Amino acid sequence: MTSLKPLIECQDLTFRYPGEEKFILKDLTCTINEGEFLAIIGGNGSGKSTLCKAFNGLIPHFYVGDYTGKVTLDGVCTTTTDVATLSQSIGYVYQDFQNQLLRPTALEDACFMPLNYGLDDYKERGLWALEVTGLLDVKNEFIWRLSGGQQHLLALAGAIAMRPKLLVIDEPIAQLDPHHAEQIYEVLKKLHTDYGMTIVVIEHHTDFIAEYCSHVMLLDKGQVLWKKETVAALNCVEELLERNIFPPQVTQIAHSLQLKQPYPVTLKQSIQTFKASPWKQQATVHHIPQHTKPMVQLNNIELAYNQRLENNKLVLQNISLELSTHEHIALVGNNGAGKSTLLKVIAGIVRPTSGELYIQEQLIARAMPEKLAQDMGFIFQNPEEMFIEDSVRKEISFYLKSRKVNDYETYVDELLETFELVDLQDQDARLLSGGQQRRVSLAIGAAMRPKILLLDEPTANLDIATKQHVLNMLLELKKYVQTIVIATHDMELVAEWSSRVVVLSNGCILADDTSERIFQNHGIMAAGHIKAPQVVQLTTALSLPYCSSVSQFIAGYLQQVERGVHVGMG
Amino acid sequence: MLKEQATFTQSQKMMIFILSMSLYGLSNMFTELIPSVQLGPIELQIDCFAFIPLALCMLFHPFYAAIGAATGEIIFGELMLGQFGGIGEIEKFILFSVGMIVGGLLVRNPKSKAQVAVGAILGYGLFLVLSTIVDILKVVIGVEEFEAVPGLAESIFIVEGVEFLTDLLLTGTLFTVLPALYLVPRLYGKVEPLLGLKPRTATNFRVSDVITPKFLVMSALLSLLAFGIALLSEMDFNIGSWEPEFVDTYGIGVIWGVICVAVICVCITLWLMMKKGREDSHDLS
Amino acid sequence: MFTLEWVKKLEDRLSLEYIKQELLRTAFSTEKSFFTQLDPRILLAWYGYFAIVPWFIYEHVTLVGYLLFMVILTVIARVSPLILTVLAVGLAGEILLLGFIALLFGGDLSIVAPMFWLSIKLAVISLASVTVFSSINPEKFSDALLRLGAPAQFSFSVAYAYRILPTLLEEFQQIILSYRLRGLAPSKNGVLYFRKIYYYITMLIKSFYPLILNSAKRSRTTVEALEIKGFSYAAKDKRVLKMKTNYLQTSQMDWLFLLLTVCYVVIVHSLQLIL
Repeated sequence: MTSLKPLIECQDLTFRYPGEEKFILKDLTCTINEGEFLAIIGGNGSGKSTLCKAFNGLIPHFYVGDYTGKVTLDGVCTTTTDVATLSQSIGYVYQDFQNQLLRPTALEDACFMPLNYGLDDYKERGLWALEVTGLLDVKNEFIWRLSGGQQHLLALAGAIAMRPKLLVIDEPIAQLDPHHAEQIYEVLKKLHTDYGMTIVVIEHHTDFIAEYCSHVMLLDKGQVLWKKETVAALNCVEELLERNIFPPQVTQIAHSLQLKQPYPVTLKQSIQTFKASPWKQQATVHHIPQHTKPMVQLNNIELAYNQRLENNKLVLQNISLELSTHEHIALVGNNGAGKSTLLKVIAGIVRPTSGELYIQEQLIARAMPEKLAQDMGFIFQNPEEMFIEDSVRKEISFYLKSRKVNDYETYVDELLETFELVDLQDQDARLLSGGQQRRVSLAIGAAMRPKILLLDEPTANLDIATKQHVLNMLLELKKYVQTIVIATHDMELVAEWSSRVVVLSNGCILADDTSERIFQNHGIMAAGHIKAPQVVQLTTALSLPYCSSVSQFIAGYLQQVERGVHVGMG
Repeated sequence: MLKEQATFTQSQKMMIFILSMSLYGLSNMFTELIPSVQLGPIELQIDCFAFIPLALCMLFHPFYAAIGAATGEIIFGELMLGQFGGIGEIEKFILFSVGMIVGGLLVRNPKSKAQVAVGAILGYGLFLVLSTIVDILKVVIGVEEFEAVPGLAESIFIVEGVEFLTDLLLTGTLFTVLPALYLVPRLYGKVEPLLGLKPRTATNFRVSDVITPKFLVMSALLSLLAFGIALLSEMDFNIGSWEPEFVDTYGIGVIWGVICVAVICVCITLWLMMKKGREDSHDLS
Repeated sequence: MFTLEWVKKLEDRLSLEYIKQELLRTAFSTEKSFFTQLDPRILLAWYGYFAIVPWFIYEHVTLVGYLLFMVILTVIARVSPLILTVLAVGLAGEILLLGFIALLFGGDLSIVAPMFWLSIKLAVISLASVTVFSSINPEKFSDALLRLGAPAQFSFSVAYAYRILPTLLEEFQQIILSYRLRGLAPSKNGVLYFRKIYYYITMLIKSFYPLILNSAKRSRTTVEALEIKGFSYAAKDKRVLKMKTNYLQTSQMDWLFLLLTVCYVVIVHSLQLIL
């Protein structure tokens, strides 16, 4: 083994944000070596982002606070060198990457950094960065016309144009569908293997860590607990679960069944492990959606969006759907397939170019949003866009108060209780954490007491533990709401929650069926850029009966064992 | 250990600038779109959403919030909509900034409704007074022998006065004082930490932090400039009036000669431009 | 009735999607005219002359000559007729109003003549600015200013405005939608649509509360990103400034245009001596 050259060294790093009591980093010591592909994991508030901001000197130059200890980047001390100089050897992609895109067009943004440093070949560098990220086709496009996935790739391009030794990315795939997420990681892999960059990701999608990263570092309460190679790291299942970090589904299964260590961490390895299993193929029971009176009916909806100023593109075409009461519908498809737009059409916010929308058998032609809100709740993808008041309580009561509902305060109290917001009720919702914000947005939806509730990506940007929590909240919502439609690319949510899945692709309905059947239809999955959850993929690969969740898999497995079937472990 | 911030760092100033620029710029696009109502000689219109820069001036460093807003107006409201008015915009830039800065300086405790109201109305009012004076001065400069025209002075004063009053009453109350009263106390203590700043208190906010010697020198220079322009007009300075001796010495014939040469030059230039233009379009196709 | 029309129009315009598309179309449209190919620095110098000098010209022949020149140039620059109409109506209205008030105060119509010539003056100046700034690309304009010594922050702000405008509009639209999806519009219009107007205007003002907080969060990342992308590094370096604005180059056309203007100005001033 060649000798390891340290790129980042932190010694007894301690930091506290101004005005706060708690130290976010405490006597933290760690080393990142050249050539690593490191994942930093840890629960909320463990100091992951703060640590990364100390790498390029943003802390302490930009965030003035109490700072002690020493960080060196490639041998240079970060406290005595300014951020602009340090940034030449470290690229940084923020979690809210949209805000780091500063120029009007893609190429200008990619060139911005080398241009600022006065490099004569700035244009070539920008073009190279766009080529590596696969954005060369859109180089002259305005940034606001790029899709979310493309914007993320562009933020990455802007960060690598200087060809830094180290690249730091904060939650690269939180807002992406699985297809685009894979695309980002493939780019990172290329940068790592072909261009020798050292890569650090803050990540909680452990399946991606297993697939791509070489090392994992676990942070807890501002300290490094350990840094291990990936397989060893993900095998510390209990330690991870304690901190609400969920290892890949296959690892969880292996752990629950107390198989021999090391547990498999990727799907491929797990198939090897479970291969010899003699499970019998069982006839699966299909849920047949009960068609009662339709709540919402769409007839031949078509929508041309004027967003691209010069050419009118059809965003939705030929959409006909009937949504009934007590259905839980998931709208899936890749980014840009038209999911959000379809939700907005159902909500009556966007008027279709042609076609009819019936709600409770009444034709909706042109209605004011204020009126539509009586039957319909809409929860935006970004909870912040729903916040219009200055406290959580006021947010939730806004609807009830404006309609002068009798005794609304008791109902608000009940909702605060249900969504675990009692302690937060007087705070400004914008200042809460991501998971808390999401809960507030769900409570706002419930307060409207709609017959139909539409949610746009309710689990985006959440860590897995919070996601589980939101999932429970969604089940809670059933109490208040008759029909729920969710647009999502979170396939675990689809598998566990939905009673019906509508797959969209390029504005058309590709399939409309139960999640079970869709996840077993490879044609549809490929066309819709969908990837089934790991546990479903595992059961399919092993030709086992369909399981939608880890617990179902384990239950099924134990049942088999009880029946005395010999289960061979490969 | 780095010291606790008492002053604004360079990047915090930039944050305030960008915040103020983009928000006031956006609001300016709206006010450009909202149509005005003409009630006889009185025009009712929403001049601007002055509450946005005023609120920011009261919460943050007034200087950067004010010039940010003034820049935002030029960029969003004028340049992007293709309505940039040239030099006149610079004058508005200065006057507006001055008004907003003063409005922001008057507030020491953003939680006090009285201070916010006073700051808002005086800040916006100062801007209105200054621009009314400049408008009147413009007519005085622009019209030859202003005083000699009967009734002109009075009418100008009345027109400008009425405009001043409607602006002060409509925009000044509905779109300045009331919204500022709604926003400032609500934002206070919430928006500052987002920029990594401490909320303004009577102890950490000193007028002398904003009114630095540099600031004073700048304002002195600008007032001199404004004064100089006003003075020029008083001095009977007239570009067209250097002619008598010239004509006497050389006679009218010379002037005709000059005109002929110039016309020939114009023709040649035009011909060259046409040729060049055609070549260029040829190159493109 | 007039107000009714107005509110109808307002309601139509309050379709935010419409406003958003309109604004984006205006901001991002790139119309080509003779002036777009000229170097913005030359145009600025040219404009500098026509924005200041006319103030000090009182000779009618010269003013008419200048006006004629500007009219021809506005035609060449393909300035939108709407802007021109607004300009003309504004100037005429001002004269009429002043005349009317002067009559009230016992003056006579002699006020109209000087005001007429003032209006011609203003027209020259406004047309000059319309010609230049309706065809100048704002980014080129800001780069020209940067080259001429304006602070780098201004030039950055112009480019940033183009970057952020669509995002801001989108966010604003969502926030207004949130208000409307949870609020209750007045069922009656009230006198002169007063209730409706009040409802919309309070909503518009209140929407700036969330907008300010959201933008504050955003501007923090933006300024951090500026720092890590070396913006402050560039601001200190003259060489980078040159590289950024290297594409600004004067062509033969620029000098021809200046020559033409000089000759024309000479003719106008000479004619004034004779006539």
